[in-house]
Amino acid sequence: MSRISISLTVNGERTEVETEPREHLADLLRGRLMLTGTHVGCEHGVCGACTVEIDGVPARSCITYAGSCDGASVRTIEGFGDDTVMAALREAFMQEHALQCGYCTPGMLVAARDIVLRLPEADEARVREELAGNLCRCTGYRGIVRAVLGVLAARRPRSGHV
Amino acid sequence: MTAEPGGLGVGASPRRKEDARFLHGRGRFVADITRPGMLEVAFLRSPIAHARLLAVTKPAGQEKRVFTIADLDGIGTIRANSALPGFRVSEQPALAKDKVRHVGEAIAACVAESRAAAEDLAAICVLDYEALPAVSDMRTACSPTAPLLHESWSMNAFLETRRDDDVSGLDAIAAAKVTRTLRTSRQCMAPIEGRGVLAEWDPRLEQMIVTTSTQMPHVTKSGLADCLGLDEGQVRIVSPDVGGGFGYKGILLPEEIVCASLAIRLGRPVRWLEDRFEQLTAANCREHHYVITAWADRAGKLLGVECDAIVDAGAYSSYPFGACLEAAQIGSILPGPYILPLLRCHTVSACTNKPPILPYRGVARTGVCYAMETTLDALARQLGIMPQAIRLANLVPATAMPYRNLVGKVFDSGDYPESLRRAVAAIDVDKIRARQAAGETVGFGLATFCEQGAHGTSVYHAWGIPFVPGFEQAYARLAPDGVLELRVGVHSHGQGLETTLAQVAHEILGIHPDQVRVVHGDTALTPYSTGTWGSRAMVMAGGAVAEACRQLAERVAAIGAALMQVSGADVRVADGKVQRTDTDGFVTIADVARTWYRTPQNLPPGVNKGGLEVTAGYRPDPDTGTHSYACHAVVARVDTETGAVVLEDYVVVEDGGKLVNPMIVDGQVMGGLAQGIGTALYEEMPYDTEGQPLAATLADYLLPGTTDVPDVRLDHMETLSPWTTFGQKGIGESGAIGPPAAIVNAINDALAGLGAEVMDLPASPSRVLAAIQAARAVKA
Amino acid sequence: MKPAVFSYARPKSWSDAVKLVASGARAGAGTQSLGPLLNLRLAQPDMIADLRHLPDYAGVVVSGGVLRIGAGTTHAAIEDGAVPGRTGEIMAGVARRIAYRPVRNRGTIGGSLAHADPAADWVAVLPALGGTAIALGLRGERRVPLAGFVTGIFETALASDELLRAVEVPTLPAGVRWGHWKFCRKVGEFSKVTACVLSVPGTAPRAVLAALDRPPLVIEDASALLDDTEAEAARIVSAFPELGEWRRAVAQTALRKAVAAVKQP
Ligand SMILES: Cc1cc2nc3c(=O)[nH]c(=O)nc-3n(C[C@H](O)[C@H](O)[C@H](O)COP(=O)(O)OP(=O)(O)OC[C@H]3O[C@@H](n4cnc5c(N)ncnc54)[C@H](O)[C@@H]3O)c2cc1C
Ligand code: FES
Ligand code: FES
Repeated sequence: MSRISISLTVNGERTEVETEPREHLADLLRGRLMLTGTHVGCEHGVCGACTVEIDGVPARSCITYAGSCDGASVRTIEGFGDDTVMAALREAFMQEHALQCGYCTPGMLVAARDIVLRLPEADEARVREELAGNLCRCTGYRGIVRAVLGVLAARRPRSGHV
Repeated sequence: MTAEPGGLGVGASPRRKEDARFLHGRGRFVADITRPGMLEVAFLRSPIAHARLLAVTKPAGQEKRVFTIADLDGIGTIRANSALPGFRVSEQPALAKDKVRHVGEAIAACVAESRAAAEDLAAICVLDYEALPAVSDMRTACSPTAPLLHESWSMNAFLETRRDDDVSGLDAIAAAKVTRTLRTSRQCMAPIEGRGVLAEWDPRLEQMIVTTSTQMPHVTKSGLADCLGLDEGQVRIVSPDVGGGFGYKGILLPEEIVCASLAIRLGRPVRWLEDRFEQLTAANCREHHYVITAWADRAGKLLGVECDAIVDAGAYSSYPFGACLEAAQIGSILPGPYILPLLRCHTVSACTNKPPILPYRGVARTGVCYAMETTLDALARQLGIMPQAIRLANLVPATAMPYRNLVGKVFDSGDYPESLRRAVAAIDVDKIRARQAAGETVGFGLATFCEQGAHGTSVYHAWGIPFVPGFEQAYARLAPDGVLELRVGVHSHGQGLETTLAQVAHEILGIHPDQVRVVHGDTALTPYSTGTWGSRAMVMAGGAVAEACRQLAERVAAIGAALMQVSGADVRVADGKVQRTDTDGFVTIADVARTWYRTPQNLPPGVNKGGLEVTAGYRPDPDTGTHSYACHAVVARVDTETGAVVLEDYVVVEDGGKLVNPMIVDGQVMGGLAQGIGTALYEEMPYDTEGQPLAATLADYLLPGTTDVPDVRLDHMETLSPWTTFGQKGIGESGAIGPPAAIVNAINDALAGLGAEVMDLPASPSRVLAAIQAARAVKA
Repeated sequence: MKPAVFSYARPKSWSDAVKLVASGARAGAGTQSLGPLLNLRLAQPDMIADLRHLPDYAGVVVSGGVLRIGAGTTHAAIEDGAVPGRTGEIMAGVARRIAYRPVRNRGTIGGSLAHADPAADWVAVLPALGGTAIALGLRGERRVPLAGFVTGIFETALASDELLRAVEVPTLPAGVRWGHWKFCRKVGEFSKVTACVLSVPGTAPRAVLAALDRPPLVIEDASALLDDTEAEAARIVSAFPELGEWRRAVAQTALRKAVAAVKQP
C-alpha cells in the first residue's frame, strides 16, 4: 500500500489528496497543493524554514508525514490573510529590515506569531531563545528580534506604543 | 513603498520593494517552479574520496533512466583556467569519468517522476570501484609520496606564488618578533536555500532555458553554452528569487550541464533540487593554514612580515573563479590597512580529495585578516603595548590617501585610525582591565581591515580567469505610462537591489520608486554582466543605472522643453518633471513618455531617435576598486571550566563611503557579521584521513542562531570614494571579515593572564579549553 | 533526501498497535527523531504504525503518589504544565530546553525514551527522577525501572513486540532539591554532557551523568558526590577515558554545577 488518500484542512479549506505515505507535509503542500510559501531548508528538523501550523501550533512540515496529517488542520504562510498578529509582524519585519533573501521568512513568521501569542511577556533573551530553531543566513537576526519585540511591546496594554 | 520622512533617493532608507512578496510567501524560488511533464533528478554520488571508477551497473529494466558520462557524449568538461604563471588547470567532468576525486562527486543522474522515485533508482545502482589512497591533509598534499589526483600533474598543487622581499636583516634590528601557526576551518557557505536547476528545451527558439539559483546568470550562460556545444544565443539563464548566495551560487554547476543535457536528450523538462546533505558535501571554502612571522620596532611599527600559507582548494578548479582565488590573494591582502615595508610570502593552492572551494563572502580576506590581526596582538603582548597602540602605529593615515601600498593596492579614501579610535572609545577598556585584575577571564579584541570591492578590469585581467569584468551596463526605459523600467545583469538575492537601484533612479529622475521596476535575473532581458560578487553591485550597477538615467534625463528634457516651447537650456529634470528654470511651468516625465509613444506627431524635429530607451555603461576610473574599512571591537568572556565563549559586547565602526540605503547597509554588515561569528566560534566541516566529511546535517555543522549573534552596536563614517558615482563603496562582505580576528583576539586577551592562546578556528569550547590546559601544563 | 517507500497504518487500539509492531512495523510517535532518519534513508521501515490516535496515548493521571504520563505526551505539553506539582515543575524546566517549540509540539516523552539517543534529555532526566516504564507487548504489560530502561546507544529494554505505553514517576514533595546542568553549544542542540542530582529529604540523593555516547550512568546513592564533590566528580569521570579530555572536563563541571544547584540555599 504505497499510496494513500487523506483528507485535511489547509488554510481553512478541506482537501482530499492522493499521495504516498512517505511524502512529508512540506512536499505535499508545495507540490500537490501548490502552496510554495513553505520552504524546505534541511529536511531534518533543524533550520525551521518549513515551519507551518498544524492543529493550531507550529510544527516542522519536513518531518511530519502525509499519513499523520489525515484529519489535521494545517495553516501555511498563505493562510494568515486577516490575522492581526501576522499583519503586525509583517509590518514590523519590513520596518526593521528583518528579511533579506526572504527564504527563511515564512517559517520565521509562523514561529514568531506563536511567540507573540504564547509569551506576551517575553523579553529579548526569551525571544532569542524561542527563535533559536529558525535559522537565517542573511540578516544576523537583529531586525527579526527587534520586529518581534516591537509587536510584543505594542500589544501590551500599558505600553506607550499604539 | 510610501513616502518616508527620510526621503526616497540616495542616502534614504525607504522600505524594501521586495519585502511584500516574501512576507506573504509569494517569493518564486527555483523549487517553486514546475513544468508539465517535468522529471526530477537524483544524483548517484561518490561515497568515497578517491577511487578509480570501474563500472556503474544500472538497475535492470531501468537502464534508460540512469545516465552516466558515457550516456552524455559530447558535453565538455569544466575548465577554469588562470593566466597566473604555473597554474595547473583541472578537467572537471560534469559526471565522474574514470575517477572520483571527492565524496559527493556526481557519478550518475537518475530521472523519475518524483525526487523520491529518482532516489530509489540511485539507491539500487551498483558502483564498482578501486579505492585509492586519499589526500586529505593540505600540508602533506604536495609531498612526493602523495598520490596524484590529476595524474598528468607533477604535484597536487594548482598554483604556488612567491614574493621575496629580503627580511633576513630584521632579526638584528627588531624589538619584537613573533611567529604563529594558525589555521582556519573548512567551512560550508550554507545558504538556507540550496541550489536548484530546472532545464527545458524550447524547440521554437531552439534554446536551452535553464532556471537556476545563481548569482551570475550571464557567466553561467557563457560557461554552459561552451560545455554544451551550443552558441550563446541558444542558452537563456533565468535566476529567479535566490535564497542567499554568499559565493556558493557564483559557479557553473556540473548539475546545470547534466540537467540541460538530459532535457535535450529526453525532450522533457528536468529539475534537480539540491538537498542539505548534498549541499554540505558539494563545496567548501576557507581552509587556510599559516606560519606567519612579524617583526616590529619598540613603538610597534611593523618592520616586515613573512608568511607561508597553504589553502586546501579541494579537487577541482571551479568555474569561473578558479582554485587559487584564496591562496594567490594572500600575499596582496596581508598588508591590510597598514603601512608594511617588507613582505615575504609563499602560498600554495593545494589540491586534495575534498570538494572544490568556492569564494565565500570575505574571500581570502577573512583568513588573512585573522592571521594578521592575531599576529599583531601577539606582537603587542610581547611589546607590552595595547592592541590599539600597535594598530595606530601602522594604519595608513587619512593624510596619505589615496595610498598605494607595497603590493600596489590603491586605497581610495578614508580615515582608518579614526575608525579604530571610535571603536575603542565605545568600549570601556579600563573596566575590562579592572575585571581582569579581579580574576575574571574577560578580554577585549580588535580587528581593523579594509575591503577591496568592485575591482574591475585592471585587477582581473592579470588573473586571466574565464571572465574579466569590464564596463557594467544598465538599461532604462520609460514606458508609455511613465513607469521606469530598469534592467541590470547583476542579481539581487537579499541585497535589496530592487529597492536601491530604484532609489538611484529616483535620485536622478525624481520618479517615485514605486514607479520604478527593476528587472534582473534573466539573460534574455538584461544586459550582459559578470553578476553579483566581490561587493560590486552597488558601485557598478548603481553607477550604470545612474548613467542610464542621466542619459534618459537629457532626452526627456529635450522633448519636455520642446513641449513647453523653450530651449533645452532653460529646463531641468527633477521630481519626475521637466521644469522650467525661469517660471513654475513644467511637464511631467509621464507627459513626455506619452508624447513619445502616443502622440509622436508632437515631437520636435531632430529628436533623438533612440527614444526613451537607453543602455548605458559605467566603470569607475580608476577601477582598482573601492576600499571600505572597519574596526571591530569585541568584549568576550571565557568560561575556563568548559571553554565556552560569550560575546558580551560587539562594536563595529564601518566606512562604506556614501550609504545608498543605510538600513540595507546595516543589514549587510549584520548578516556578514553573523557569518563571521560562525567562522570564529561554530562552523567546521571536518574530514577524516580517508577524506570522509564528518558533518552530514545542520545538527553537526553548526550555523549561528538567534542566541549566538549579539545585538551589535553599529557606527558609520561616510568618507566618499572619489572614484564612484555617489561616493559609494562596496561593503557586502565586510561584516564577515572581521569577526574571527576580533573575537579570537578578545579570547586571547582574556586568557593572557593564564598564558594561553587560541590559534585555530573555530574557537570551539574544546579548543579553548585545550589551550588553557596546555598553558597550565607548561606552568606546572 | 526523501524517505524510502513505507506504508502507513493508524491503529485505533493498543492491541492492534502491538500486533503491527510485532509483525515488523515501526512505531511512529511525533516522528521528530524518526523523521530525520527516514529522510536520510538511515531508517527504512516497511510500515509505520502511527500511535498518535491510541486511547490514553497522551495525558497525565495522578494516583497514589505516582504520576502516570502517557507515552504520547508532548514535550510542549510538559513544558506548559501538564505534569502537576514539584515533579511537573522540574519536568517543565527540562522540557523547555529540548529542541525548539515546533519540535516540542510534536515530539513525545515516550518517543524520546524509546529512541534512546544517549544525548536526549528524558533519557538523562527520567532515571534521576526514579520510576518506571510501562511496556506493553503481545504477552501484556511489563514494568521496567527507568534506571535500566536505556541499555545502549539507541537501545532499550523493550522487546521487539513491545511498545512504551507510559512512564510513571513519583510525585515529589515540595522540599525536593533538584540540580540539572547540561552543556550545549547552541540552544536546542543535543547535550554534550548532562548531569542531574535529585535530593529528596530523608532519602539518599540520586545522580545521573548522561549524554556520554553510552547509556546514562545512574548513581543510586550519590551522598559521596554531595559530600566531597570535587574528588568524587573526578573519580566518576575518570572511568570514561574514551570521552577525551574536553568531554571529561565538562562532565566534571556538570556534576559540580548540578550538585551546587542542589545545595543552593
Ligand atoms: C532539530 C531537533 C532538535 C532536537 N533536540 C533535542 C534535544 O535537545 N533533546 C532531546 O531530548 N531531544 C531532541 N530532539 C528529539 C526530540 O525530542 C524528539 O521528539 C524525540 O527524541 C522523539 O520523540 P518522537 O515522539 O518524535 O518519536 P519518533 O521520532 O516518532 O520515534 C522515535 C523512535 O522511537 C520509537 N517509538 C516512538 N514512540 C514509541 C513508543 N511509544 N513505544 C515504542 N517505540 C516508540 C519509534 O519507532 C522510533 O524508533 C530534537 C529533534 C530535532 C528534530
Ligand atoms: S526544512 Fe524542516 S526544519 Fe529545515
Ligand atoms: S533572509 Fe535569507 S535566510 Fe533569512
